[in-house]
Amino acid sequence: MPMVTTQRADMSFCPGCSHGIVLEQIGAALERMGLQPEQVCLVSDIGCIGIADRYFSCHTFHGLHGRSLTYAEGIKRVRPDLMVIVLIGDGGCGIGTAHLVHSARRGVGIKVLVCNNFNFGMTGGQHSPTTPPHGCTATTPDGVVDSPFDVCQTVMVNGASHVARCSAHDRTCGEVIEAALRSPGFALVDLWELCVAYYVPTNKLSPPALVELSERLELPFGLLRSIPRPAAETEPCPTVERDPAAASGASEQGRSITWRGRTEICVAGSAGQRVRSAVGVIGEILVAGGVFTAQHDDFPITVRKGHSISNLVVSDVPIQYTGMDAPDVVVVLSEDGLRRLSGVSSLKPSCLVVAEGSLVLPPVSAEVRRFDLRTIGKVADKASAALVIVTAALVHGKWIEPHTLLAAAKQCVSGRYAQENLRAIEAGCRLQLSMDASSPMTVPD
Amino acid sequence: MNEFLTGNQAIVRGALRAGCNFFAGYPITPASSICSDMIQALSERGAQGVQTEDEIAAIGQCIGAAMAGAKAMTASSGPGLSLYSENIGLAQMGEVPLVIVDCQRMGPATGGATTTGDGDIVFARHVTAGGFPLPVLAATDAASAFRLTYEAFNIAERLRTPVIVLASKDISLTRQTVDFNAVQLSPLIARKPAAADAPFVPYAIEEPADVPAFAPIGGRQRVRFTGSIHDETGVLTIDRAKIARKLTHLREKIMLVRDSNLAPGESLEYVDVDLDAEAETLIVSYGAADGAAREAVAALRAAGMRVSHLTIYSLWPVPHRMLRRAMTPRVRRVIVPELNIGLYGDVLRGFVGEAAIESILCFDGRLIPPQRIVEHVREPSSYRTTA
Repeated sequence: MPMVTTQRADMSFCPGCSHGIVLEQIGAALERMGLQPEQVCLVSDIGCIGIADRYFSCHTFHGLHGRSLTYAEGIKRVRPDLMVIVLIGDGGCGIGTAHLVHSARRGVGIKVLVCNNFNFGMTGGQHSPTTPPHGCTATTPDGVVDSPFDVCQTVMVNGASHVARCSAHDRTCGEVIEAALRSPGFALVDLWELCVAYYVPTNKLSPPALVELSERLELPFGLLRSIPRPAAETEPCPTVERDPAAASGASEQGRSITWRGRTEICVAGSAGQRVRSAVGVIGEILVAGGVFTAQHDDFPITVRKGHSISNLVVSDVPIQYTGMDAPDVVVVLSEDGLRRLSGVSSLKPSCLVVAEGSLVLPPVSAEVRRFDLRTIGKVADKASAALVIVTAALVHGKWIEPHTLLAAAKQCVSGRYAQENLRAIEAGCRLQLSMDASSPMTVPD
Repeated sequence: MNEFLTGNQAIVRGALRAGCNFFAGYPITPASSICSDMIQALSERGAQGVQTEDEIAAIGQCIGAAMAGAKAMTASSGPGLSLYSENIGLAQMGEVPLVIVDCQRMGPATGGATTTGDGDIVFARHVTAGGFPLPVLAATDAASAFRLTYEAFNIAERLRTPVIVLASKDISLTRQTVDFNAVQLSPLIARKPAAADAPFVPYAIEEPADVPAFAPIGGRQRVRFTGSIHDETGVLTIDRAKIARKLTHLREKIMLVRDSNLAPGESLEYVDVDLDAEAETLIVSYGAADGAAREAVAALRAAGMRVSHLTIYSLWPVPHRMLRRAMTPRVRRVIVPELNIGLYGDVLRGFVGEAAIESILCFDGRLIPPQRIVEHVREPSSYRTTA
């Protein structure tokens, strides 16, 4: 079966339009390459050239304006063996410039044929990004003043491996197209065409005038680049060993921990204090011990600055509501955290507040205990202070027995920081929180 | 075995369990970890995952990949769903199986990147031009995020349609205790393949509600795909009878499945019904407000009150049969807690007869506490209470 199934005269294009010539040349090039229709997918953009799909016997895909490159890339990634051709106009290159640039940059082996007739033919002859200076169109009656969009340079500076420009009316057009189709990586041909309905009558363009225009605009015809670059989709993806700490948190578990009722734990500190990871470690241990937990965090989008708050709900039954309205434990590690907390003064009397010694708290009816961040380094890694203090708070409030927590932690803590985290939990279990802000805590020998 | 995972991790698990083998996405809080985890997971499996230049390219690549035979997914937040809009219409018209995740944030535009909300529920339904139905599922927690992502692939494959899965920041980024083995999943469905020995007609159907058999781009049978109005051969048409047939089909393949008497997992009605035949109060909840509703129902019943509860996962099409079932004869009050300005309550008004819709609303990024629902049921403060 021929690749192009319709005679040029029977195509819907205006008499004298270059599109029919280009379609014939594509069909002939594919047949010279010995490709069968099922080995080819033609992805057509929008505009007059967008109706080309119906004249081809291969797989065809006709989508949205400017997005043809994205569909082509998706198809090519799944089927690297297919010849995937994008047929796009100058308008499509304008609205889809981002895709043009980034497809070229990624080097996906799609073949982009730009049917560039310097205006929007389908919508009534408005100017396009490639309309030459002084070109008169429906939307530039006094002539274009903008610089023309150089499609070829755009993809060349962004990594395209094969780029050419050619007049659709030049006898080498078929060879130029074929060379692009044979190139393995991202290839593009800027095919200069005549729009006989709009651009030609107003701007006196003709096949010889296309050559003059190329010289005047210093946008030369010919092969502009051909460097071998393998198609990106055929290269294996690099795989990296994943940090075990970032894994799912799945682990061996039993029912080693008993919990009574619902406990809401709020830990408020600063970015860099490992607040969220400390709470996450406690959550993982409790889940591994057969308890139900939910962790939700509050942090600004710039994760290395400002407050970092992590909330942990712990319960003996599945947790439906993960919000925190009446915390049972509030750990305050820094001024950032304290500022972000709301309603500290209205904490319920049964709440345990564990705050860094230097922080000035508003009057509270809750029990307040103190610790000293500066001396944490004597008992554990300074970086894991949050985990030390959260552990100390849970043990102090008798939510969990130290030996139970330690045993469960030894069972389940894993990843890059496993030893550091275990040391922090051990230190937290031994820490005596003080009632006095001036001598905040003691660590028994 | 219980695990401690975020909703986003659960969504990735659900996608992989459903056989997702193509992902393209653009990073955005609170959906970014789906993008990075999917790319990592697919590369480990020798499949394609790609971070694109924008959301338009992400969904475009997914559509191309899906038509070449892949099970494709993309994930974003409200701003990205806006950019998906036009291509969702393409996926409807071209009948592309595709799963789209929207991890909602609070408010319009960039809104609150790290704050929660359920404000996209109506936008998701009407996200694209033309006004044709689009299945939308809403997760309530990590476990349902896992299940609904999996089920979304089944719906997408069976009906050849884009399906939207909604989560929100407080589901996506909250770690919860989940036992995935305990989650009930329907059998895995693959799109109906075209007969190998018959001539392939890309959009052939017998009845309007039929779903056309699929042949991948690049296979032996040549595929014609278009987003313009087309006949069964995939060629543009101006024939009014063919146009009516195609567009009627786009409606009925979804609405008739919703209306037919199918078993759970085959119908499009995904709900939890917890009814008390004597109840005068029905609480209807979905999304990130559902957890509080469940706790409130338990507290009210413990205090001796008769209440019914309906959790809706399949927001669109509206599960009207289940709603009718939940409207037992004594129900006079339908209470709808929502993390938006009362969007679903407005929809439900058409389904509850004479009963009053009472909204409990919060749209400032916080969750509704269970206690607020309890107090409202006991002493209705006003019909439209806000934070």
